[in-house]
Amino acid sequence: MFKLNLKIALRNLWKHKGFTLINVGGLAIGMACCLMLLLYVNYEWSFDKHYKNADKVYFAALNLKFNGKLATTMAVPNKLANAATTELPGIKSAARMSMPGGPKLYSHDQNHFKLEALSVDPDFLKILDHKFIYGNPETALAEPNNVLISASTAKKLFGDQNPLGQSITYDNKKSLKVTAVIEDLPKNQTIRFDVLQPWTFLEQENPAEKEYGWGAITCLTLFQLKDNANLEATNTAIKNFVVNKEPNLKEMTYQIFLFPLAKYHLYDNFNNGKSAGGKIDQLRLFVFLAICVLLIACINYMNLSTAKSEKRAREVGVRKALGSTRNTIMGQFMIESLLLSVLAMAIAFIILEVSLPYFNNLLDISIRIDYGSYQFCGLLLGIVLFTGLLAGSYPAFYLSSFIPVKVLKGFKGSSGSLSIRKTLVVVQFSLSICMIISAIVIYSQIQHLKNKPLGFDQTALAQIDLEGEWTKPEKLSLFKSELQRVGAITAATEYAGSFTRGGSITGDISWPGKPKNDVSIINYRSTGFDFAKTTGVKIVAGRDFDPKFSADTATSLLLNQTAVKTMELKNPVGTVIHWGDNPPLKVVGVVQDYSNESLASKIQPTVYYYNIKTSQVLLLKLNPAQSLSTSVEAIKSVSSRLNPAYPVEVKMVSQGMAEKLRSEKLLSVLSNLFGGFAIFISCLGLLGLALYTAEQRSKEISIRKVLGANLSDILILLNKDFMKLVVIANLIAIPAAYILVAKWLEKYDYKISINPWPFLLALLTSVLIALITVSMQTFKVAKANAVDALKYE
Amino acid sequence: MIQLTNIEKYYANKGVKNYVLRLVTTTINQGEFVSIMGPSGAGKSTLLNIIGMLEEPTYGTYHFMGEDVTSLSERKRIELYRNHIGFVFQAYHLIDEMTVYENIEAPLLYKKVGSAERASRIADLLDRFNIVAKKDLFPNQLSGGQQQLVGIARALAAQPSIILADEPTGNLQSAQAEEIMSLFKKLNEEEGITIIQVTHSEKNAQYGNRILHIADGVVKEDVAVLS
Repeated sequence: MFKLNLKIALRNLWKHKGFTLINVGGLAIGMACCLMLLLYVNYEWSFDKHYKNADKVYFAALNLKFNGKLATTMAVPNKLANAATTELPGIKSAARMSMPGGPKLYSHDQNHFKLEALSVDPDFLKILDHKFIYGNPETALAEPNNVLISASTAKKLFGDQNPLGQSITYDNKKSLKVTAVIEDLPKNQTIRFDVLQPWTFLEQENPAEKEYGWGAITCLTLFQLKDNANLEATNTAIKNFVVNKEPNLKEMTYQIFLFPLAKYHLYDNFNNGKSAGGKIDQLRLFVFLAICVLLIACINYMNLSTAKSEKRAREVGVRKALGSTRNTIMGQFMIESLLLSVLAMAIAFIILEVSLPYFNNLLDISIRIDYGSYQFCGLLLGIVLFTGLLAGSYPAFYLSSFIPVKVLKGFKGSSGSLSIRKTLVVVQFSLSICMIISAIVIYSQIQHLKNKPLGFDQTALAQIDLEGEWTKPEKLSLFKSELQRVGAITAATEYAGSFTRGGSITGDISWPGKPKNDVSIINYRSTGFDFAKTTGVKIVAGRDFDPKFSADTATSLLLNQTAVKTMELKNPVGTVIHWGDNPPLKVVGVVQDYSNESLASKIQPTVYYYNIKTSQVLLLKLNPAQSLSTSVEAIKSVSSRLNPAYPVEVKMVSQGMAEKLRSEKLLSVLSNLFGGFAIFISCLGLLGLALYTAEQRSKEISIRKVLGANLSDILILLNKDFMKLVVIANLIAIPAAYILVAKWLEKYDYKISINPWPFLLALLTSVLIALITVSMQTFKVAKANAVDALKYE
Repeated sequence: MIQLTNIEKYYANKGVKNYVLRLVTTTINQGEFVSIMGPSGAGKSTLLNIIGMLEEPTYGTYHFMGEDVTSLSERKRIELYRNHIGFVFQAYHLIDEMTVYENIEAPLLYKKVGSAERASRIADLLDRFNIVAKKDLFPNQLSGGQQQLVGIARALAAQPSIILADEPTGNLQSAQAEEIMSLFKKLNEEEGITIIQVTHSEKNAQYGNRILHIADGVVKEDVAVLS
């Protein structure tokens, strides 16, 4: 029986090739989209789950009062790790980790590379397991000059030599010994490094580190709990750990809690001291999107299959008269849909394999299909079964319910089932329209953020790290003047750190009229001269730092507009401000607000002071009169002459700014892509319904034609019903999309106002596409010879 | 074998009952060849469908081989016609996606006949109807008469004790019609299969041995055919 059913299923599919093509095509695209999204979700989901102890490792997180709000940071005092391990019973071990501080120079012979380095306590390697090629976790970080490197770093520095025991020079001054090599880190790991060094090395480099008190938050800390430890009990015990040690921190709250490492990637937003989602929200959206696309494809199949029901009805009737039970007939239709779904999966797989590299490239990720994994095979099988059974269920139930006598007498399908199909089409279109609207809004929000005046000029603005010779002021000024002489740049200024990243903050500034209980946190950045000239930031009052005024290098400050607002200064220029132990500082100018750190959120109050020594970056305004590459080449040649030990890396600020929109871009790409596919599949579904109706009404149309209706009358008659469906779908989708989009926009401080045109555009697009799709079919019927349809009655 | 008592069938439409059959009472015995005749809309096909258990009477009792059909469950009824009834339709109703061979095989599969037995029965039928050469063709590759032959072969495959035929020759040319009718006669006489056919043609009715004349849902005449 099964064999015959299979054979007949195959013949049926082959006989209606066009129908099969639409069906399989729709399903395949739907499945490919679904798989792609699920692979992506799985990739994000798998972050940090590969560690053996993943469920027992926690970051120490710190809640502290920040501008009147409770802020959460993973940075904690460096004393916490040891103190907590000895005093709290639930903690097995702890490891401090230095904050990622940008790449450092490491060299071996003539190979110089800037590598990401972390300094950690030796227990780090016990808490988090890594795959060792050489060396072992016990001894790898025993001595301050020990260093652990990744396989690709070893390859870079040593080529094919055995790296174990070799020496590496750190920052051209210290010699380190390679004690271990580990395999390259998987891409889905949050804690990233090329080089791992002991915490003791950090203390040698920066002796002040040992002296920091409980109030300084300078490192990250990982805790591993004991196997039988109670998380809640440990959390309660550690909550006021720091405050108990240093009671005067209490006014800043300073509460510690443990946050699972494995959750950190997906839940990295904190609101008012509590976890408030993060990337997980996006993932949920993608899972929803994946299910929607698959659902749309399934609905398609149901529609197309039942549309063909009239042709199959007679077959069902005869089979029943021959003694077939309803189950056998349902089996037949189920086999057909499963067969189709397997076929579609095969095609989806090809689509997936072909498009995966592009997809990876587009989103800058590395998703690989792991054929060996049971999970993946299970997922595939699951999707095939789910799609096959879901898509086949309705046709199977519907078709097998035909009563033989009625069918054999020439029954034409009931109108009741048509309304189910209509509902399905409305659902399909509503989903698609929602996706289109969201895609448009996301796109315009990104454009809005991109085109928002930044307040500084990012064109031809570059930055390089200040290191080696550049830490000597006289060499640095020689470098700057040399660059100007060769015409590579027009202006340059030192800056505290990377221009597109955040920087230091303080609560220690006071100004005239500051209320007693005000604990405002102010950002501070060091700069050199020519700050405004280099970055293009406008000075709205007073002046920029100027070498003519000797006080500028010691006691002058610049404020940004937000800082002026925060301090409520009427005449900011000339105001005297106190900051910690420094002598009184005088405001000499106000710079216009500009957004360099985040495009989406508000600008923070910031003060600027002159200091070359604490600046880590040199900002360069490249010469606009020549091409970028010429300028960059010139900078490289001057740098390699004056600072040969440090290979220079010129980074464009505009690139850093573009990276800030990465997650928005991802959302935009995915919603555009999959929204597009969804509407395409929905159109296939509509085509199926049009096919059905046209067939259903062929007799009616023929009679109307015989009675004298012309082509346009019939086209209007047939299209009217479909347009009604699409309009209903719009009526459902538009409010739903409005709510969705408004919610998404909430998190942006700078956002577009929702205007009607994305909705109108979606409405018009859906109506137009539907009209074209339906007309393709109805036109054929309307043009057909009336006699052909009437003859067979 | 078949005993109909006071069979009524009507369709209620807005409170008005449209009678198709009225108080039909008749008995058909094993081995009879009955032709049901009457004008269009007389209720011939409905009567046949009720006998074939494809439709249920609104009122009355129907005993098939001593069993009361009206009170049977769906499953039982399917069991009954799997084993005892073969249908032949005016429009042949062969399954387009199946070859001649598979069409004949279908009822045997539903009856769960073993594969060796199946093959021998089908071979026998193909042979008897001279359609061995056509066994791998699809219905649309055959002429109407040939399709009806396959239809009859299919009805016979399950070795039924009764064949119900609804205008079996209605779509056929007269030469082919004669062929089919003599086949029925032969089956009836040589194998003792009970045959009930609905027909318009007086000529076809003469092949049988009893004629039921129906008009407006009522049996007007029940005559024996003299051969």
